[in-house]
Amino acid sequence: MKGLAPLFLGIFGTFAFSWVGLTVIPNWQIGHLNPQSDEEGTDIYPQPQSGMFQRGAHVYAANGCIYCHSQQVRAEYAGADIERGWGNRRSAPRDYIFERPMFLGKMRMGQDIANIGARAPAEQQSPAPPGAASPAASPSGATSPAPSAAPQGAAPAGGSPAAKQSQSPPSAASPASAGSPASAAVASPVASPASSPPKGSPPPGTKTGLASPSPAAAANATPAEKTAPSSGLQIAGAPWPIQTIGEPPMYSAAWHHVHLYSPRSINLDSNMPSYRFLYQKRRISDARSADALQLTGSDAPPEGWEVIPTYDAKCLVAYLMSLNQSHPLNEVRSAGGTPSATGSTAGSPSPAAAGSPRASKMKTQ
Amino acid sequence: MNATGIPLKEPSVSAAAGATEQLERAYIDASTRVPVLMFYTSAMAWLILGTLLAGFVSFKLHEPDLLSNISFLTWGRVRPAHMNVMVYGWASMAGMGTAIWLMARLCRTVLRYPLLLVAAAGFWNLGVLLGVGGILLGDSTGYQWLEFPGYAAIILFVAYTLVASWAVLMFRYRRGEQIYITQWYLLGAFLWFPWVYAAGQLMLFVVPVQGVLQPAVGWWYANNLLFLWFGAIALGTAYYMIPKVIGRPVYSYHLATIGFWSYALFSSWTGMQRLVDGPFPAWMITASIAAMILSMIPVATVGLNHHMTMRGYFPLMRYSPTLRFTVFGAMSYTVFSVIGLLISLRSVARYVNFTQASIAYSHLGLYAFFTMVIFGSMYYIVPRLVGREWRYASLIKLHFWASAYGIGLMTLMLLAGGFLQGADMENPSLAFTETVETVLPYLRGRSLAGILLTASHFIFAYHFGLMLLGLGRTSTVPTFLNPVEAETSGGH
Repeated sequence: MKGLAPLFLGIFGTFAFSWVGLTVIPNWQIGHLNPQSDEEGTDIYPQPQSGMFQRGAHVYAANGCIYCHSQQVRAEYAGADIERGWGNRRSAPRDYIFERPMFLGKMRMGQDIANIGARAPAEQQSPAPPGAASPAASPSGATSPAPSAAPQGAAPAGGSPAAKQSQSPPSAASPASAGSPASAAVASPVASPASSPPKGSPPPGTKTGLASPSPAAAANATPAEKTAPSSGLQIAGAPWPIQTIGEPPMYSAAWHHVHLYSPRSINLDSNMPSYRFLYQKRRISDARSADALQLTGSDAPPEGWEVIPTYDAKCLVAYLMSLNQSHPLNEVRSAGGTPSATGSTAGSPSPAAAGSPRASKMKTQ
Repeated sequence: MNATGIPLKEPSVSAAAGATEQLERAYIDASTRVPVLMFYTSAMAWLILGTLLAGFVSFKLHEPDLLSNISFLTWGRVRPAHMNVMVYGWASMAGMGTAIWLMARLCRTVLRYPLLLVAAAGFWNLGVLLGVGGILLGDSTGYQWLEFPGYAAIILFVAYTLVASWAVLMFRYRRGEQIYITQWYLLGAFLWFPWVYAAGQLMLFVVPVQGVLQPAVGWWYANNLLFLWFGAIALGTAYYMIPKVIGRPVYSYHLATIGFWSYALFSSWTGMQRLVDGPFPAWMITASIAAMILSMIPVATVGLNHHMTMRGYFPLMRYSPTLRFTVFGAMSYTVFSVIGLLISLRSVARYVNFTQASIAYSHLGLYAFFTMVIFGSMYYIVPRLVGREWRYASLIKLHFWASAYGIGLMTLMLLAGGFLQGADMENPSLAFTETVETVLPYLRGRSLAGILLTASHFIFAYHFGLMLLGLGRTSTVPTFLNPVEAETSGGH
């Protein structure tokens, strides 16, 4: 066996070298991050998710969403992610510390959804860009606890700089309580007052005027539609301006359900498969369920029938609504102004250097 | 052992082997017959299944409404099913079959207790079956190439332990002092795989690492599986087949040594370049890009070695199926590495990150390189196991050209489509759906390439089936692709 020891040692050594170098050392460097908080120990971000979110993550894994959707926003110098409105700052390791399994994603046949729960509808996608609605038409002003100025994503924290929400004001308020960990409790009736708008939006077919999402209209619609008691499982819809073409507000829970059920009814160019097997078509027994999808056209079920999400679908949407990296991180510079203003940053390739002391210590790439 | 007195340690290069040696080889081949055929047959079945799944995946990607209402046929489940069938069903099983046979030949030992290896193959099949079933039923873990749920992974690991112990034991009981370079690669592969697999499983599922380190470990695993397992088997096989078929020793043993160690050292450090611009410390990605650049050393040495070995013998590719497939695969290793390097440079990665180009890269590695080499080795090994020669030269030719054109077209389509997709994605004034529409025509082209590959696999499976049923030619002359006008040395 003489002369073989070097071979065996070499084979082991090369493996060990790579293993230590690429997994153990990174684990030592960024494997034990804690949530950040401000001086008083409040405004903790991120916070652990549980219950429906965890199950939703497994539905996400089971159906291979990761093969088309990434969940990472690249820095301004590295790509157009921020300009596309996929986030207001780059993603950092700390954003993910509670995620398991974690879906970073390597392919974008679909959009990046790192901030889908917080996303402003800055992009088209839907026939009626909600951004078009004037900020004044603050959604359901009566029910939404805080109008656009105080993004609920930062809810636990009075002190969080709302200004850093770089998205346009009406939409920045989007994440709603879904994004806030407080609502993470399993099946808690998150259906806080704010949850009504998606369900409250006009029934299929009714076309309210595009530009008139007046609070009054929303308010009127709400009670009318709330015939069935809220199941409590419906995750809070966002207090977006009611948009109209018979569709729920963009990126609201109700919108996600319709989108998952029939992507091309929302965006004709979409290449996403539909996930109808996550939904159930059933005869309306008593009254139309509060969860029933607001489907239009050929997707709409026949008279007397309704399409309702399964528990898996609700969990998946709860998970999607929880994806929110809009909270500022000390080590990452948030984009200053509106997304369009970031176009001029090509000359500054090192945002990390500009950050806090922590940034230089733990330099994210 | 080596009648021609070549100073290089290639034990089996011998055009005029003595009668005893012939007999010894026959014994060894006979002892490997059942397990290796078992591995090959299973691999062929998985290849056909994986090919059908691949076609389905490819068409569904541009026809999203195709059978989308059935949960286990949704795109996001069929895709990982396809990948895992190919990786663990086809590639691993075929690779193990070839590796076992080569190990027995090179160690000049009879394979003892072959039935235990058959059992291992059975277990492995069971693991893949459960894993793929689990994925289709919604039990996927969501980590690339590690989608198999835990119960399947553990079965795979047990089966693998059996196979690897056999390989290492064979090595332990080898006869002859010399160790050929192929044995280095195979020994490396057999030892690396369990470590890499165990490390991946442990760090992702047993004691999971935090947050972003999970995808990092995932890519580290997938990359090392590609290089240290599949790549090592394929390079070892090429080092055996090329000299063997042309009847000429490896050009330089020193180059081979340098190639092996630099390969082990540098290629195992790549992988993080796929996470470029992600939420990671910059040094991780930079280290992998540097390793990609340094990987050009093994690429150059291995390529040069094969080239110099082949010099003057390239015309033999006209006749020998094994040589044609193996040389194609060995050349693809260079192409695979160079393209891999190009798309990992930051300036380029910016455009190909998150696009179909990364699929092109995986297919170059796993198909153009690994699978083609393994096809070549099967054309060499199967006749020696069943005692028959391949029946139709025309089918072999069809198989080769359909595979070669298929993978070539697929790579071009995915690379070109990926670049355009990435360029569009960089332009925020284009709606996102437009970036997808840009790539759709290329995906249709890829489906076309997939049809070619499907045809090639069915042809090969049919031919392989004939051999298995004993319907090959009974002849002492191997099947040549073209009638041999001149005398050629060596086997086929």
